[in-house]
Amino acid sequence: MIFFSLDLMLKLIFAGILAGFASSTMGVFVVRLKMTSIGYCMAHAAFAGAALGMLIDNYLILASINLNINLPLIMAFLFTFLTSILLGPLSEKTKLDVNVILGFLFALMLALGFIFLSFLPSGVISSQAVSVLWGSIFGVMIEDLIALAVISALIIVFLIFFYKEFLSIMFNKKMALASGINVSLFTFIILLFNGLVITFSINIIGALLVYALIVNPASTSFQFFYDMKKIFIFAAIIGIADSVAGIFMSLFFDLPVGSSIIIVSCIVFISAVIISPKRRWKMKKQKGIDEWNNTN
Amino acid sequence: MSISPIIFLKNVDSIYEGESRPTIKDINLKIRRGEFVYIIGPNASGKTTLLETINGLVRAIRGQIRVFGLDLKKNSQKIRKNIAYMLQTWDIEPDEPFLVKDIVMMGRSGKLGTFINPRKQDWELVKDCLEIVGMLRHYKKPIGKLSGGEQQKVFLARALAQDADILMLDEPFSNLDTDSRSMVLDILRNYKQRKNATILVVSHFLSDVSFQIDFIDRIVIMQEGRIIMDGSPDEVLQSEEYICLKTNRS
Repeated sequence: MIFFSLDLMLKLIFAGILAGFASSTMGVFVVRLKMTSIGYCMAHAAFAGAALGMLIDNYLILASINLNINLPLIMAFLFTFLTSILLGPLSEKTKLDVNVILGFLFALMLALGFIFLSFLPSGVISSQAVSVLWGSIFGVMIEDLIALAVISALIIVFLIFFYKEFLSIMFNKKMALASGINVSLFTFIILLFNGLVITFSINIIGALLVYALIVNPASTSFQFFYDMKKIFIFAAIIGIADSVAGIFMSLFFDLPVGSSIIIVSCIVFISAVIISPKRRWKMKKQKGIDEWNNTN
Repeated sequence: MSISPIIFLKNVDSIYEGESRPTIKDINLKIRRGEFVYIIGPNASGKTTLLETINGLVRAIRGQIRVFGLDLKKNSQKIRKNIAYMLQTWDIEPDEPFLVKDIVMMGRSGKLGTFINPRKQDWELVKDCLEIVGMLRHYKKPIGKLSGGEQQKVFLARALAQDADILMLDEPFSNLDTDSRSMVLDILRNYKQRKNATILVVSHFLSDVSFQIDFIDRIVIMQEGRIIMDGSPDEVLQSEEYICLKTNRS
C-alpha cells in the first residue's frame, strides 16, 4: 500500500469526486442520446491534442519561451471540441455514414497521438505521456480540480435551468424540435460539456479510459430507474463512488489510478445488469411478444 | 372581406434530408382558422411530409409557406411553439426511462420558453389533459408499461397540453378501438370549439371517422406527393378520386 500526505490524499479524493460527478452526469446524455461512439472519438482526440500540446510545450521550453498556460489541456480541449462539431458536416459533405467518419477519426487521432508522443524526448514520455494516456495520481493538478469544480457547478446550473429542454431532447429529438426547442443549440451545449469533462479528467483517468467513467455509471443507473431525475442523481452517486473506490484500490494495490477506477465501474455495471429489474421486465415483455408472433 | 389563411402553401416542393427527389410536389393549400381538415391517401403519398413541411421539420426546396401570416423560413421556431404535432410512430421501448407526466409536460416545453421551469398551473394543465383522455390514473407510470392505445392517448394529451392554435395529428386513431376513436373525436371537437383551433388529421382512410363525418370541414386526398382532391366531405365523397382510392384499397 502507498502512503501519501493528507494534502495529497484530499486532493486525490476531491479529484475523484469531481471527475466522477461530472463524467457520470454527462454520461446520462451520452448513453440516452446514443452518442457513445462520438464520445470515444472525442476521448481519443483529447489524447492527440494533449500529446501535441506536450510536444509544443517542450519545444517552447527548449527555446526558453514560457507562455504560462497549460498547453496540453488547451490543445486537448480544442481537438475534442473540433472533432465533435466537425462530425456532422464531414458526414454530410462526404455523404458517408457518421459511423464511418467516427471509425476514421478514431484511428487517425490515436495514430496522431502516438506520432506526437514519439517526437518527445524519452524522459518526458515516461512521465507526462504516461499520465495523459493512463492517468496518474501525481498528474492531478490544482488547476484541474478548480476547472472540474467549475464545470460540475455549470452542469448543475444548466440542468436546473434547462432540464425541460434536455428532457425533451433525450426523449425524442424530432418532437423536441417540433415543439419549438432549439435542439441544435442544446446538442452543442451537451457536446461542449462533454469535451470539457474529457479534457479535465484525462490527467486522473487517462485519455484512453476516461470515456468508461462517462458511460459506465450512467449505464448502471439506467438499469434501475424509469424516471430521468432519479437516473441523473443515481448516476452521479455511482460515478463518485466508483472514482473514490478506484482511487483507494489503486493506493492499496499499487495499481494505475485510471485503470482501477474503470475496473470498479465495470464490476458495478456488470452487477447492475445481473440484478436489474428493468432488464428482466424488458426480457419478459420481449419473450411475450416473440411467443405471440410465433403463434400468429 | 376575405380572411387571410392561417396556413398558406404556394407551389411547394419539399424534400427529406439525404433524398434526391422531392417527396411532395407543387402543393397549393390554404387553411383557415378553425377548420378541421382530414388528409387521406395511400402509403407514401406524402401525407406526413405535408404536415412536417407545415411545421418546418421537412425542408421546402421551392415555393412559399406562411403560417400565422409569418414566413416559415424566418420564423420556424416561433411558429412551432404554436403548432402541436403528434407523430405517427414513437418507437417506445418497454424500459423507456420517461414517466407519463413528464412526456405530457414536454408538450409545454417550447411554449414555456427558455429559463422558465414548469409552474404549478402547468402541472395542473398536464393533469387536466390526462384526465380528458382518460389516462390520469397513469400519471406517474413509465410510458413503456402502457399499451399501444394508452400510449397514443398520452401523446394526444401531450399535444393538447401545448395549448396550440394548430393541432396536427398523424394517424391518431391507428391503435384505438371504436369507442376510443369516438372519444378522441369528441375531444378534438371540444378543443376546436374552445380555442377556434385549426385541426389537421392524417389518416389512410376515412373509415376511422366515417361515423362522425359531419365534424370534418374539408377532406384532402393525396397521391404520389400531390394533392389530387380538396373539398368539402360531400364533394370529396362523390368524387372520382375518392372512389378510385376506395376501390384500390379494397
